[in-house]
Amino acid sequence: MKSVVFLLALVASVVFEEVSPQTSKITWVHNNAQSVDRQLPETVGAGCAFLDYDNDGWMDVYFVNSGPSDFYTPPTPLKNALYRNNGDGTFTDVTDKAGVAGGRFGMGVAAADFDADGFVDIYITNYGPNILYRNNGNGTFTDVTEKAGVASSGWSTCATWFDLDNDGKLDLFVSSFVFYDKSQNPLCTDATLQRRYYCVPRLFKPTPSRLYRNNGNGAFTDVSRESGIADHPGKSFGAVATDVNNDGLMDLFVANDTMPNFLFVNKGGGKFEEVGLAAGVAYGEAGRPRSGMGVDAADYDGDGWQDLFVANIDHEFFSLYHNDKELIFTDQPGEIAPSTQLLSGWGLKFFDYDNDGDPDLFLVNGHPDDMIESRIPRVKHREPLLLFENTGRGFKDVSATSGSVFGKVFSGRGMAVGDFDNDGDSDVLASNNGEPPLLLRNQGGNKNNWVGLELVAKKSNSAAVGAVITWQAGTMRRTRLRTGGGSYLSSHDPREILGVGTATKIDSVQIRWPSGTTDRLTNVPLNKYIKVVEGVGQAR
Amino acid sequence: MRSEVVYRRFLLSALLLAAPLILVQVAMAQDVSRLERIATLIRENKTIEAERQLALLLRSKPNEPVALNLMGTIRAKQGRLNEAETLFVRAVVNDPRYSGARMNLAYLHLQKREPAKAVVQLKQVLGADPTNTEVMVMLGDAYLATNSFAEAEEQFLSALDGRLDNAGALLGLAQISRAKGEIKETTIYLTRVGTLLADSKSPELLYKFGLLALQVGMSDAAKAALENALKVRPNDPAYLLGYGIAWLRKGDLFEAEKVFRRLIQLQPNSDPAQIHLGYVLLNQKKYDEARLWLEKSARSASPMPEVFYYLGLVAQEQNDDAKAISLFEKAVQKLPNYAHARIALGSSYIKLRNYPRAKEELETAVKLDPEEPTAHYNLALLYARLKDPARAQEEMRIVEKLKAKGAGNDGVVVLPPNPNPR
Repeated sequence: MKSVVFLLALVASVVFEEVSPQTSKITWVHNNAQSVDRQLPETVGAGCAFLDYDNDGWMDVYFVNSGPSDFYTPPTPLKNALYRNNGDGTFTDVTDKAGVAGGRFGMGVAAADFDADGFVDIYITNYGPNILYRNNGNGTFTDVTEKAGVASSGWSTCATWFDLDNDGKLDLFVSSFVFYDKSQNPLCTDATLQRRYYCVPRLFKPTPSRLYRNNGNGAFTDVSRESGIADHPGKSFGAVATDVNNDGLMDLFVANDTMPNFLFVNKGGGKFEEVGLAAGVAYGEAGRPRSGMGVDAADYDGDGWQDLFVANIDHEFFSLYHNDKELIFTDQPGEIAPSTQLLSGWGLKFFDYDNDGDPDLFLVNGHPDDMIESRIPRVKHREPLLLFENTGRGFKDVSATSGSVFGKVFSGRGMAVGDFDNDGDSDVLASNNGEPPLLLRNQGGNKNNWVGLELVAKKSNSAAVGAVITWQAGTMRRTRLRTGGGSYLSSHDPREILGVGTATKIDSVQIRWPSGTTDRLTNVPLNKYIKVVEGVGQAR
Repeated sequence: MRSEVVYRRFLLSALLLAAPLILVQVAMAQDVSRLERIATLIRENKTIEAERQLALLLRSKPNEPVALNLMGTIRAKQGRLNEAETLFVRAVVNDPRYSGARMNLAYLHLQKREPAKAVVQLKQVLGADPTNTEVMVMLGDAYLATNSFAEAEEQFLSALDGRLDNAGALLGLAQISRAKGEIKETTIYLTRVGTLLADSKSPELLYKFGLLALQVGMSDAAKAALENALKVRPNDPAYLLGYGIAWLRKGDLFEAEKVFRRLIQLQPNSDPAQIHLGYVLLNQKKYDEARLWLEKSARSASPMPEVFYYLGLVAQEQNDDAKAISLFEKAVQKLPNYAHARIALGSSYIKLRNYPRAKEELETAVKLDPEEPTAHYNLALLYARLKDPARAQEEMRIVEKLKAKGAGNDGVVVLPPNPNPR
């Protein structure tokens, strides 16, 4: 059996290799602040990001850490971390110099250039007030939360940048989890354990998520109520901005834990309608809400309609919702279901790891209850990563042949995708609860040909969320909608790698920007990153 | 395979109870030591030699009751039940007071599901030995099998004689309570039986207890009893089936799958094995293999309606709703009151956007089983699609209420029915 696995590993063309802290110089470790009281925020974090904060063309990384809160006083100060990518496979901790240490009980990170000044900013969600760091363009950041008016309150989890009204400015959706403070922590224990374990979120009250409209002057307006978002209190984790009905307006799919998921359809005029039940994405098969955590969206079967994915807790199976059009979805997880039966999924992302042109799926997992093994047979606290290849007829679990890291287990939470070594294939950054992060180098994804796009918006929102990219190479024609957010508590490389398989020529690339502008590129170079400016095309 | 199993079970039962009686009779026979040797050979499974010696003896003494009884035991062991019956009858005719042969005959009748005939023999034995509590329990069981609850209860109570230490009699009383729908009483009896059987080596009693415990939701006790029964008879298909179901009841699909796979190895053509393995794979969303076993089960002489329902669910999950509908229709044809098949039909019609048909099926399902949350959830989905949010919310409120009451299954798919204790 071992020899069979070994042989399969030999023939696998793409593997993910763990980059050790000794190599990367990333020595930061997440502190989950675990206590005997088992306060719920301890087990939920935290996120990570790929971002190029200094515009040097190399993806830097950011990690979120725990910090002081009403239930926790760190014995020594805890910090979030920004590591500058040195371009040689190593990173340097620049947190203090950049001024982005956080200092609160951190959850997630969402990086985007909210003020369109050409430098990426960082929004940190916390258990407690959130933080918006504006990039000063000189390697430092300024906390502009108060001026921006996006502190929110309570317990925020995932943040998603997108343009809700196509006015060319990035707006912000902030998922809100349960109503919680240290006095709200009920005693969850059993006779066998005689110790507390983390309570299930079912015991806590839901809270409404927040939607902030970007005023364009550095400040935001809380439009949660008028948009309809606040009418739906949830226990929200992952969120993704996508266009599920192809009307050119970005909708929001939000995973809820022990509550029905939300599908907020953008009706225009700043209004959203929640249609999760009718769409068939709110509940499990028997009308039972599941424990939704990570989410993402992509058109995995190339039919032109955005499909949705939600990772749930063990024994609930993860959901792959195929878009049947007319705002109707069918859960068709295929091979993903049996592979995820015992797992609890958080960070996840559709991306083309082998550059064959279609979106594959990467997941990080881990059970939120560190004592679960004494309560549920076969369910583990630390769980393996999973990789599914899109075969064109569904997803195939290729984890076993995609590197030895898939044989290890982690307390996985956040996950970001980005090409940190600029070699043309997507790497993975995972943040683990109470453990060191994981940097995975994609080895072999660039054996297939590709072109990387850096989209520079002029009229559209700076992240080009909502842009539709179509590329053709010979008979292969692919389309990708640029989504906002996705995964869990994490933020991704803003560049788009378009895989073309073995094709040696890319005939055309077309970008339909959210503003309506279309740029068509011909003579596209292979295996290079290019800059595409809205209304101009390929930058010279 | 089936007859082999019956025969093994029969033999063990027969030898267990009848052996002391046989020996008494042997003691009275002229050729005592010879018959004793033959009885020993049978107990040691040396049947060829035992049969050879018996044939010699019967050639000279063709109506010797003990020899006839022993030969009957061998025939039963060989699965030649009709021949065994003839031999036991001949033994009884030649010696009407021969209790050992009557007991064997009664066992045989019970095995052949002819409890009324067993009652006749057991009454004779009890007449000759009125304080024999084992015979009382066996007679109670025979009455129970003829649904003569009052007579059965009388026998079980007599066997107990005011003491609560006869597991067989208490189990009989538990069965009567269960048949009358008295769940609380059943549970009380079973709890006591469970204590008595803690160290029991009687696989039959453990098995009976296990299946009954399953029926009243005592999954842990059932699992433990069936596990103990399997320690004695590791390859008994009926025990394995019960054990697999006990794991299912505990919600452990992995263990259940392991047990059903073992059962399938022993009995590849067993319908219950196929349907249960199919069920457990379906619930783990291993659709391709689930379909394989379920299709085999569907090809059996009289497939259960559940198998078409499960196959329909597989088709539904694999996005073939036209096929799913035809399979659900088959299930409904076989069992018109099959609420879950109606719900599944409704669900497929929703997927096909045939909302009037979906409504029809789901409303029928609600009439058949108003407490099933899945029906109300699908109605909620339907009303939401029909842009009737008020009714959708109303249905979801019913779902919440039912779930708070603990109605419905954790999964969507209902279990196949429990086997009856044999």
